[in-house]
Amino acid sequence: MRLRSAFATTTLLGFPVAWLVVFFVVPIAIVALYSFDVYTLFPEQHGFTLAAWRGFFHSSVYLGLFWKSVKMSLIVSVVVVLLAYPVAYYLALSGTKRKYVLLLILIAPFLTSYLLRVLAWKVILGNNGVFNSFLVWTGIRSADHPVSQLLYSRFAVMLVLAYVWVPFVALPIFVSLDTLDRRLLEAASDLGASRLQGFLRVTLPLSLPGVAAGFLFVFIPTVGEFVTPSLVGGTSGYMYGNQIADLFSTGFPDWETGSVLALFLLGVVAVLTLVFSRFTQMREAP
Amino acid sequence: MERTLTREDLLKLAAAAGGAAVAAGPVGLARAALAAESGRLQVMDWAGYGNDGGQAMFAQYVKGHPSNKPQFTYMTNESDALAKLHAGQKPDIFRPYVGWVKYFATSGLVQPWDPKLITNFKSLNPAMVKAGQYNGKQYGIPADWGFDKILYRSDKVKPKAKSWGLLFDDRYKGKIAWFDDLNMLTVAGLYLGMKSPWNQSDAELARSQKLLKSKKHLVRLIWSSETNLWEAFGSGELWIAYAWPNDWVQMKKKGLKVVYMSPKEKPVAWVGMLMLLKGTPRRQLAHAYANAWVSVKSGKWLEDNYGYGHSNTLARPSSADLARVLQISNPKAVGLPNAYLDRDIPRRAVYARRWEEVKAS
Repeated sequence: MRLRSAFATTTLLGFPVAWLVVFFVVPIAIVALYSFDVYTLFPEQHGFTLAAWRGFFHSSVYLGLFWKSVKMSLIVSVVVVLLAYPVAYYLALSGTKRKYVLLLILIAPFLTSYLLRVLAWKVILGNNGVFNSFLVWTGIRSADHPVSQLLYSRFAVMLVLAYVWVPFVALPIFVSLDTLDRRLLEAASDLGASRLQGFLRVTLPLSLPGVAAGFLFVFIPTVGEFVTPSLVGGTSGYMYGNQIADLFSTGFPDWETGSVLALFLLGVVAVLTLVFSRFTQMREAP
Repeated sequence: MERTLTREDLLKLAAAAGGAAVAAGPVGLARAALAAESGRLQVMDWAGYGNDGGQAMFAQYVKGHPSNKPQFTYMTNESDALAKLHAGQKPDIFRPYVGWVKYFATSGLVQPWDPKLITNFKSLNPAMVKAGQYNGKQYGIPADWGFDKILYRSDKVKPKAKSWGLLFDDRYKGKIAWFDDLNMLTVAGLYLGMKSPWNQSDAELARSQKLLKSKKHLVRLIWSSETNLWEAFGSGELWIAYAWPNDWVQMKKKGLKVVYMSPKEKPVAWVGMLMLLKGTPRRQLAHAYANAWVSVKSGKWLEDNYGYGHSNTLARPSSADLARVLQISNPKAVGLPNAYLDRDIPRRAVYARRWEEVKAS
């Protein structure tokens, strides 16, 4: 019996593990070899070297860009969590019978392409876009002086990223709130806690694992984002992910430095994930 | 009754074909070789030049070789093409620009063309043909050409001088677009009056980079695709841009008052070069494809539809405006004293690193 169970476990885990090894671990190992010059794009150059790593850590430019992207992603993640929490709270705890219908509406934008959703913001934020046309129509701004900082700016990148990721964050928070034991809230109320106290001391702490998961869901992909910045970011919205992509294919291929930047990002994200998962587990412990 | 060919039969046939080809001379040899090539011609080109709108450029080839139609993959720039070639992609033809001729010719990745197999070759602009040569061999067949100049809105912008300096003009903060290429360092070098902008010393490169870094805050967009530029320029987000002739054509079509300015430091001219991969199994087909690309008909289509010049001197655009901007009747338009023809950058990797640092700063 035990043997059969072990066989079933091996079979069930075997495929996903093999998948991860082939399509995640091996490619990362190859990227690592590029970063040390063991693999090179050009056949004539070979040999283990730490030059690209040294160059990266001595470059205030790359680290500065990384920090800029981290700041942008942090802002986006915090804003998105703040926006998504009330939505998830309403869906999970308001007692509405249509919560799954509303949930479906929330994730409806995912039925269209990511690119289309990002490009739609160009129509909204441009000089002749919806927002500026409205300002002109109301007389707040003249047609010759639109608010031009809306598009091709850091603000545009953060706005679009926040829009794109709100549903992703609402889902884990919704799950953690939906599975909340309502009797705890009743007990808090019976013991004299106001609704605000009940929220702050019962609901919020118990939903933190969902919040942490949601935060990570946004932070991890946005810190390495390059599609949105290249479409609406302009010069000031250029992010770390754009630099990685450019090092691989613009100007002259520099796969060594590009690999270093990619691995550094991966390392930071891995550490953050570990820290957050620790935090989540601690919260979940009885 | 089913008939099968024995090895002896095949050898006899091959000998007969070879003999016939020799008897027919070089053209016959080429025809025989052409008949021996099979499969679809593999072309790596820029977006818009394959079956996504550029079919007229190779229609003559498709007509002559219906069973060897071109199959396209795309390159976003020469660096991208280089990475793809080293990564194992094997197109028969690709199309880098003139500044990369020496690099590719010495890389061992390409082989020279045989101009005798390209009947339209004699009509090509001699200066451009020369630019496609390295060590006396024709590595690049010149195709499209144009200029890097400055496009600006004449109703919004009053340049202090006809100069590249307009791209660095503080008065137009937030209305300027640069091009996403290390050529921006060359332009900075031209603006700063350097002797060899394409071969700057470390100190000179540092100066060019410093200029670009210090002026980057004025720049709204560093464009890498023309459609991106057209959208932003057309909607009024931009007033000044590093631009190509077609960008001027497109903005004129939108009804904007635009000037395509030649800076006093001189514009940079570029020429697209069809290149032939070393070891291609479709050498003859590739020549036929190149021949179609450089025909008068294709050239005129390119000029009329894409707004660039064409290496075939007999091709003339329908628009007199475009003919004037391209100085189409001047066979030396891409050279001095009119413009600097783009050229090899010996330390391209260093330039690329510097340019990436500008963007990241």
